[in-house]
Amino acid sequence: MSAAVQPAGDAPVTVPLLELRGISKEFPGVRALDDVSFAVWPGEVHMLLGENGAGKSSLMKVLCGADSADSGEFYHKGDKVRVSSTADAQKLGIAVIFQEFSLVPYLDIGQNIFLGREPSGRIPGTIDRRRILRDARRILDSIGFNIDPSILVEKLGVAQQQMVEIAKAISQNARILVMDEPTAALSDRETELLFALIARLKADGVAIIYISHRMAEVFALGDRITVLRDGRRIDELRPADASPDQLVRMMVGRTVDMSYPRHFAETPGKVLLEVRRLAAASGISDIDLEVRAGEIVGLCGLAGSGRTEVVRAIFGADKVTAGEIIFDGQQTSGGPDQAARRGIALIPENRKSEGLAPLRSVADNLVVSALRKLFPSHLFDPRRAQRVADGLVKQLRIATPTSRQMVGLLSGGNQQKVVIGKWLATGAKLFIFDEPTRGIDVGAKSEIFALIDRLVADGAAALMISSEQAEICHVCDRAYVMREGRIAGQLSRSELTEENIVRLGMHHA
Amino acid sequence: MTDLAKQALAPPRSLVSGDALQILYRLLAALLICVVLSFLSDSFLSLGNILNVLRQASLMFFIASGLTLVVLTAGLDLSVGANVALSACLAGTVIQQTGSPTLGVLTGLATGGIIGLLNGMMVTALRIPSFIATYGMLWVLNGLTYWYMAGETIHGFPPGFRQIGSGYLFGLPIPVYLLLIFLAVGTIFAQRTTWGQEIYATGANPVAARLSGIPIARRLLLVYGVSGTMAGMASIVFLARLNSAEADIGESLTLPAIAAVLIGGTSLFGGVGTVFGTFVGALILTLVLNGMNLLSVNASWQPIVTGVIVVLAVWVDMKTRRRTS
Amino acid sequence: MREAITSLPGNPLQRIPGVAVTLVLLVAVFGSVAPGFLSPANITNVLVQSTVLMMLALPMTLIIMTEGLDLSMGAVLTFTSLVVAIVSLATGSMLLGLGAAILAGAVFGTVNGWLVATLGIPPFVATLGTLGTAQGLSLIISDGQSVVGIPHSVRDIYSATVAGVPVPVVIALVSYAAFHILLYHTRFGTYIFALGGNREALKYAGLASNRLLIAVYATGGMMAGVAGLLMTARMNSGHPTAGLGLEFDAIAAVAVGGTSFERGNGWLFGTALGVIAVGVLRNGLNLMALPSSIQVASVGLLVIVALFFDGLRSRS
Repeated sequence: MSAAVQPAGDAPVTVPLLELRGISKEFPGVRALDDVSFAVWPGEVHMLLGENGAGKSSLMKVLCGADSADSGEFYHKGDKVRVSSTADAQKLGIAVIFQEFSLVPYLDIGQNIFLGREPSGRIPGTIDRRRILRDARRILDSIGFNIDPSILVEKLGVAQQQMVEIAKAISQNARILVMDEPTAALSDRETELLFALIARLKADGVAIIYISHRMAEVFALGDRITVLRDGRRIDELRPADASPDQLVRMMVGRTVDMSYPRHFAETPGKVLLEVRRLAAASGISDIDLEVRAGEIVGLCGLAGSGRTEVVRAIFGADKVTAGEIIFDGQQTSGGPDQAARRGIALIPENRKSEGLAPLRSVADNLVVSALRKLFPSHLFDPRRAQRVADGLVKQLRIATPTSRQMVGLLSGGNQQKVVIGKWLATGAKLFIFDEPTRGIDVGAKSEIFALIDRLVADGAAALMISSEQAEICHVCDRAYVMREGRIAGQLSRSELTEENIVRLGMHHA
Repeated sequence: MTDLAKQALAPPRSLVSGDALQILYRLLAALLICVVLSFLSDSFLSLGNILNVLRQASLMFFIASGLTLVVLTAGLDLSVGANVALSACLAGTVIQQTGSPTLGVLTGLATGGIIGLLNGMMVTALRIPSFIATYGMLWVLNGLTYWYMAGETIHGFPPGFRQIGSGYLFGLPIPVYLLLIFLAVGTIFAQRTTWGQEIYATGANPVAARLSGIPIARRLLLVYGVSGTMAGMASIVFLARLNSAEADIGESLTLPAIAAVLIGGTSLFGGVGTVFGTFVGALILTLVLNGMNLLSVNASWQPIVTGVIVVLAVWVDMKTRRRTS
Repeated sequence: MREAITSLPGNPLQRIPGVAVTLVLLVAVFGSVAPGFLSPANITNVLVQSTVLMMLALPMTLIIMTEGLDLSMGAVLTFTSLVVAIVSLATGSMLLGLGAAILAGAVFGTVNGWLVATLGIPPFVATLGTLGTAQGLSLIISDGQSVVGIPHSVRDIYSATVAGVPVPVVIALVSYAAFHILLYHTRFGTYIFALGGNREALKYAGLASNRLLIAVYATGGMMAGVAGLLMTARMNSGHPTAGLGLEFDAIAAVAVGGTSFERGNGWLFGTALGVIAVGVLRNGLNLMALPSSIQVASVGLLVIVALFFDGLRSRS
């Protein structure tokens, strides 16, 4: 596409407030950003669209100085600048509204806004708290946030905390705000308030970079839309010139360069897992799903839609507040130890922090779930454990010099094989995978899918969460799509296309 | 990911064989201390002194062995000293009243075990951090013990019973035999039972352990219960050795026990360490304190030296942890 | 200026701070059961006896707010009280004794802070080590004996009054006022909330959290120095083991007062009430002729109960 499109406005602005040209960033094996160019004009809302992993967060990190780009240039009001630290970004007036807020819970709103910049009081050494409250009040009023600045931040809801973060940014004379899915945790009314605030900021000439998955917002708020995919800027257009379907197609289209070894069963086996009206304190509700032997069932949706929460509730890792889980004909409840004993296995999202003990050996990690099964007398025989582990290493083709190697030193793909392997020895019948191929190179991905395929061919069942739509479509018999804590719909094999998944997962007006 | 990829391609460096290496280093350190002390003091290598060192190390080890399991789960039991005191006083009373050493032993073990389980419940059910829970327990036990004893001392136990602490068998003090037994039992429990493996896993990564199907609450109750019971065991040996029971016998026991565990290579952050290592740690600390005694250093320096060694041991542990992670 | 009170949402009864309820209950119970509890002489006694604890509990509040702990305070207090005795005996000056004690306390506090902030050693281990050191040094400088014959100027601190108010109480009130200003009206105090609540926020604001943390522990040490003066004045001598274990009462007072061990939620006035509660508890049990051992056990129970309810509150 050609150079940046000028926004409509009264005063003629000739130069963008901030412009990035040719930004590239590479991690080993992955091009996070590939020659991305991006410009922001004052008083506009620039929407950034893209799937999980398209490069949005990498771009934001580069923008606010938290990460440095490998190549490319920054221009501020036409002048070339360097942004190599968060301080540099702050000086240019760039502020990111964090998802994990940088607020101190037991200080009040005013103190949080002015943290580190407190005005001095009359007695030397003290701070002028009255002035802090006055100045805070002024800033809060300027953004239309009517709240008493002496209230502790801890008492505020997520939406209000976000407002305080914005107020903080404004008080530091931010002229470019970056907001990452700001309405994700907001109610409809709170969203309206946020939009009103954004309108005021726009009128004031502040530029806003807005990351969102909600089509309604994109078209309601956006002045321009940039779509990223696989680290590249696909296109930049005005809402008037685009349609939701068009945007979805831009976000999703991708060349497939992987092999997915999958042998779909002719007839589905018996129902192994049945979930009815499941709800949990983690924010999911009214979940109905079922998984049969021989199937790989996908669980899709955007980040934050509740997929991990569902599988954790099924596994007993989170407390269930309503509904039933019926596994192999029996009602189940209780914690992970009981789920494991019944034959449910969970391969968690963060393999290093939740799936393995990185400082222990491969062998130790491989036998840890099956200890009671392998050693019913409770006497642990390290040599037998070693043999079992070696067998699994061979069977799964785990690349490690010996099974006594520290598991934290293995590559991502091999670590994942260890996590899967530890459940093989338990004879589990239901395998739940949460992003099984995240951060794993292509070769290992194929192996993992081959492994899952073999497991279900042998009579097990699999429930798989993945943010890569291509994977789901190639590997799953069918899939459920989640949206905002509920199941938005189910897709049968013939309906299973990337576009359908993305469409169901996004919030349509 | 780059760093990990490089490391995976580098020559293998596993932590497991590192365990044995760490113990070897510490044994060498103990040996070194022995050599130095034999030069500095004539009476170091006397039979009487060596047996004394072994006996002292045994007493320290009894408490420290159970404590090792707690520290393996990244917890701490600060109440062990007070536990020993209360258990000893109750057991002593029972022996005196009933004349039966067996009942006394059972009382000591039961008291220790119950205290341990109470600690465990505070940590698992009440979710109170272990160092605060056991710290509170320490003061409760202290108070109870002093109140119960009301300033008095119990002394005079049956000679058969006293053999446990003061007797000899084939020239070695009986506590040393007890030490060997508990060293063996402790090592077998930690390294050769499924419970032991689950305890290591819980300490190494409690989140992953739970998601791997380990019943963590039950295992934590187990380790605190064992730690308490071992304190009860130690109280019996103290009782037999001192031939008396007073409210203050536990005061100076907790810090050296913790020190022995940490010097022995067990990490405060959990998942790494061995019971044998704790034994070597107890040996090293006893040698250092023994040396100070032989060189007529003011006894008041002992808690200082112990405190400094504890801080050093933790610092070394943190440095080595960062290198391997 | 108003202090931020950690009141609870929902049920209006829950908005009354737990420590106030505890205090009222304790006063009610002992008022009816313990002989002579409510007499003016006894009440004055409770307040005066509580002043040493107040000196320790005030900085302990700050330390606990940073998600830390100082187990060495009692031992450091023992050491500083000996320093007061020895220095004032040698120089004849109470003020020099006080100065030396504050200096000594500051050194211990700084070491604590350095171990925790710079070396990253968990606070309870670091202060456990300092505890042993202070304990040992106390025995060494006193040769295991009490230090007697100290100048009258020291003892007078305890018995003198200012406008009818005992001097120790005045010192406690002044200290409280000072800590109130420090915590709620200075930058340092503001940053203490961040040290416990969200240390990252300080980093984003460009502030050095390590140095701040060291200063917090150093403050604790210095207050132990002032407490040392009060204690030596009270006993009219320096004793090699008096003061050991007082950190426990201080932690109890802070916990009962409503300051939680996580997230930087501290309430100074709650600590003050907690100090009085602990003082009332000990005094009441004393009047009932129950030995100090039971007192200690009761304080221990009080802490466990307070923490349990704190845990319930934060999870609801």
